Amino acid sequence: MTISARAESSGAPGYLPLRFALRELRGGLSGFYVFIACLALGVMAIAAVGSVAGSLKDGLAREGRVIVGGDISFNLIQREASAAERDFIAQRGHVSVAATMRAMTQASDGRSALVELKAVDGTYPLYGALALEPALDLTALLAERDGAFGAAAAPALLARLGLKTGDRITVGAANLEIRAVLRSEPDKLAGGIDFGPRLLVGEEALRATGLLQPGSLVRWRYRLRLPENDAGEQAIKTVIDSAQTQLPDAGWEIRSRSNASPQLERNVERFTQYLTLVGLTALLVGGVGVANAVKSHLDRKRDVIATMKAVGATGTRVFAIYLSQVLVLALIGAVIGIAIGAALPFLIDWAFGGIIPLPMEPDIYPAQLALALIYGLLTACAFALWPLGRAHDVPVSALFRDEVARQSRRPRRRYMAGTALVALVLAGAAVFLAYDRRIALIFIGAAAVVFVVLRLVAEALMWAARHTPHKGSALVRLAIANIHRPGALTPTVVLSLGLGLALLVTLVQIDGNLQRQFTAALPDKAPTFYFIDIPAAEAERFDAFIRAAAPGAELERVPMLRGRIVSANGMRAEDLKPGPDAAWVLQSDRGLTYAGEIPAGSRVVEGQWWGPNYNGPPLVSFEKKLAEGLGLKLGDAVTVNVLGRPITAHIANMRLVDWESLGINFVLVYSPGTFAGAPYTHIATLTYPGGSDGEQEDKLLKAAAEAFPMVTTVPVKEAIEAVAKIVANLALGIRGASLVSLAAAVLVLGGALAAGRRNRVYDAVILKTLGATRARLLGAYGLEYLVLGLATAVFGVAAGSIAALLVVTQVMNLSFVWLPGSAAAAAAGALIVTVALGLIGTFSALSQKPAPVLRNL
Amino acid sequence: MDDISRSQPPSPAAIALSGVNLSLGRGAARVHILKDIGLHIGRGEAIGLVGPSGSGKSTLLMVMAGLERPDTGSVEVAGTDLGKLDEDGLARFRGRYVGIVFQSFHLIPTMTAIENVAVPLELAGAGDAYERAERELAKVGLADRLSHYPAQLSGGEQQRVALARALAPNPAILVADEPTGNLDEATGKQIIELLFAGHEERGTTLILVTHDPALAARCDRVLRLRSGRIDSEPAAVLQ
Repeated sequence: MTISARAESSGAPGYLPLRFALRELRGGLSGFYVFIACLALGVMAIAAVGSVAGSLKDGLAREGRVIVGGDISFNLIQREASAAERDFIAQRGHVSVAATMRAMTQASDGRSALVELKAVDGTYPLYGALALEPALDLTALLAERDGAFGAAAAPALLARLGLKTGDRITVGAANLEIRAVLRSEPDKLAGGIDFGPRLLVGEEALRATGLLQPGSLVRWRYRLRLPENDAGEQAIKTVIDSAQTQLPDAGWEIRSRSNASPQLERNVERFTQYLTLVGLTALLVGGVGVANAVKSHLDRKRDVIATMKAVGATGTRVFAIYLSQVLVLALIGAVIGIAIGAALPFLIDWAFGGIIPLPMEPDIYPAQLALALIYGLLTACAFALWPLGRAHDVPVSALFRDEVARQSRRPRRRYMAGTALVALVLAGAAVFLAYDRRIALIFIGAAAVVFVVLRLVAEALMWAARHTPHKGSALVRLAIANIHRPGALTPTVVLSLGLGLALLVTLVQIDGNLQRQFTAALPDKAPTFYFIDIPAAEAERFDAFIRAAAPGAELERVPMLRGRIVSANGMRAEDLKPGPDAAWVLQSDRGLTYAGEIPAGSRVVEGQWWGPNYNGPPLVSFEKKLAEGLGLKLGDAVTVNVLGRPITAHIANMRLVDWESLGINFVLVYSPGTFAGAPYTHIATLTYPGGSDGEQEDKLLKAAAEAFPMVTTVPVKEAIEAVAKIVANLALGIRGASLVSLAAAVLVLGGALAAGRRNRVYDAVILKTLGATRARLLGAYGLEYLVLGLATAVFGVAAGSIAALLVVTQVMNLSFVWLPGSAAAAAAGALIVTVALGLIGTFSALSQKPAPVLRNL
Repeated sequence: MDDISRSQPPSPAAIALSGVNLSLGRGAARVHILKDIGLHIGRGEAIGLVGPSGSGKSTLLMVMAGLERPDTGSVEVAGTDLGKLDEDGLARFRGRYVGIVFQSFHLIPTMTAIENVAVPLELAGAGDAYERAERELAKVGLADRLSHYPAQLSGGEQQRVALARALAPNPAILVADEPTGNLDEATGKQIIELLFAGHEERGTTLILVTHDPALAARCDRVLRLRSGRIDSEPAAVLQ
């Protein structure tokens, strides 16, 4: 083989621009590390979010029948299945019954605690395994022995009441003996949020408690295991269909193994969407790094480009060569990102599989990875096309004479149109693939506004520097001149730092506001206790008890039933198309109440309230935002199924509810008499004006448990803590993804500052030749970075705060309080990073010996 | 695509300029560099372009190579009116008809010697780009340096690669902008010999910008530029 043939074959692919692009990259990837890292980070974030979500969804699907507790589960609230309903289920396979409710348990020393009580029969669990310590047989665990039923308690309950196996406790009228520690239960995810630790008992024990009063908040779950020879999806569908036709008024919620936890799945999907947007932010921030890297690469390559044009390359061909190069580099970055992103579910499962409360099925998700790749390449193109377009017009005359000042011209129209097109495709993909398109649109709009405004901030800063009087020391003048001179770092630093800081402030403010919802808002207006399952007949006695036990405290008590919306405005609930913010109303049963007066904490904004003496056909008052989300208006008929009875009422008015008061609030409030004859219980809140102390609370908790063993007391603090824990876990996920964006921002900033190093060396050498000391030079550069950092910090804090305000008030529907401390900390952090990164880059410039540089000038 | 090896100027006049004016810069900084230049260069001629620094030599060279457009006047090179070509047309024209040698070589640092020479051939779609590049390098005495990168070559070797690159497409016009300016005397001489050899063997029209009167004297004609004007058009100096 001749050298020429070898050279030709070493040129790799036949496509000329690609061949040239690869040759250009022989010099190594130096100068492109920031480019590659920026894309890798963004792509990794998106690939990881998609892969982890896929793993969770697959995990949920795989564990479907374990989570549901059977192939199908028929769930009823407040009532057991009728004989006909039981027969229907029993005829179709093997049945296991489980009931759950919240209850108070009392230890022999009088201490009491709220528990999530679960009663099971001997066939539990149909799928999966119960982990007990010691590993008792279920019959032995639950049987009545020596006047006490057996129970298994979660470790948290044992710790709270200082119990050990063998100790006795009471729940209602039943004596229980703790025979085992409950380590895990297979169908845990079937329930909602746990306000207390689990206590597992037998069905007989539950009945012995006396808590099964009409109207008590008990959930009955009838789990069905289909015969093994007929347990396919079709068989499941047949059973569900016949349940709906044969027992249309049962009002039960039917879950099958293939939609074990639709709410959980929806939440995973929704959360995935938010995290994908955070990942896209990382990509957008990284895009600035891409643009910077491409620009400085092409600046370095001006002579090569001019040479190519001198020997016959057209502008279009030059563009094609460098576009190919950018795509090759983008592909390298994207592949690194995809590899890490794809590995993450496996890593998470390996490292934290035991701690994560959700089942995970780590796998490779090609569609998610392809999506991340497409996002990465589109971002690279969106940010690279503009500087690449400029390469088209690099003049060959640059080879013959130095240009006085390089004009920062706009590229030709086709490249501007190309940039716009790719940006549109990127935005379109983000919106099209979004779970909540409104939020995706807001995100894109906000991103566009931030980009434009940051550009304006940079222009304003340069304008101000240009018009600053030329006074003061030469070094101050140098600092100011560096801000506005042609080719100054100002636009890139402001853009990268501004984006990173705006994002940081947004997240810190959202995070802080969420935390505040669960902590700071409590003492003033929140109640201390909720009491649930107060029997209607005992309500007056309960009031008297509280007046005596907690004089001065405010008690608010209302009747409550549970019911599911089964149809609205003539359409079945399944056929309604609720907005994403209102879907939850239809997902499960809701608390219902009736009232003559407008409930506290809400106000009527549309229609008329019926008044205390109303005695006509059933009317309902609907929460306005949710009614709108369900597409309902005044006069529409809404049917709820309460205790197996469909009750239809017309919407008489709409209310706005202050949910944050944590008082008793209902989406649906009915006119008096609507539920006449239906058994119900009361729910009450107790508020100590000015707050309460722990001792007061403990005393009341104990007294209430003794006087009303059937009433469940939920300390609000604990309930809030349970919710706060979930929110904190979600926040952790968001923070993790955001860290990636911040890392990208710091990378971009570092890259931009490093790109300006050549000018710094030149300045430093000339000034040192003229007698400037390193300390004075450092001072001048420090001043420049400080001014840049400060101006950007002001904007970043303002933009981030506005974004957080919009997210908290518009998306989360919560109140917003600006938190100056965290904003100041973020701004200070940004300043330190800018000055530090800037000075690190400058320091090496300062240590340059003048002679070699001067020789090459 | 045309076969470059057979590309020849369709007109006997290799270069014809008439009424060429060119100013550079903007506003107060605008400088009138070329003033009413008229010029006729025959096929196969060797022209020495001399004049003091700033007189417009390089700019005139760029105008003739289609790298710079005059403000007024017409430029016809190898029978083609350059004023009628757009930028891409000019690039293709250069690839086919014009070879350029720069004072600072301007090789592409990430490409080997043979790849550098092959670039114009590849850009023009020549199927045998590497064979021809290898032959050109052999002609300038670099047959053993094919796979070397510019940084691994001496200044003289780099300029020989640049010369091979300029001659590889068999251009009708060869322009050289002070090709020995960055070289020592002995090396410079070798380059000049190669340059004239290329010009004579291929009948290529040569435009050579130089400060060296002796070198200019080797050309068929010498054009002297002063303040953007052709000082005189002396008779041929070949006698």
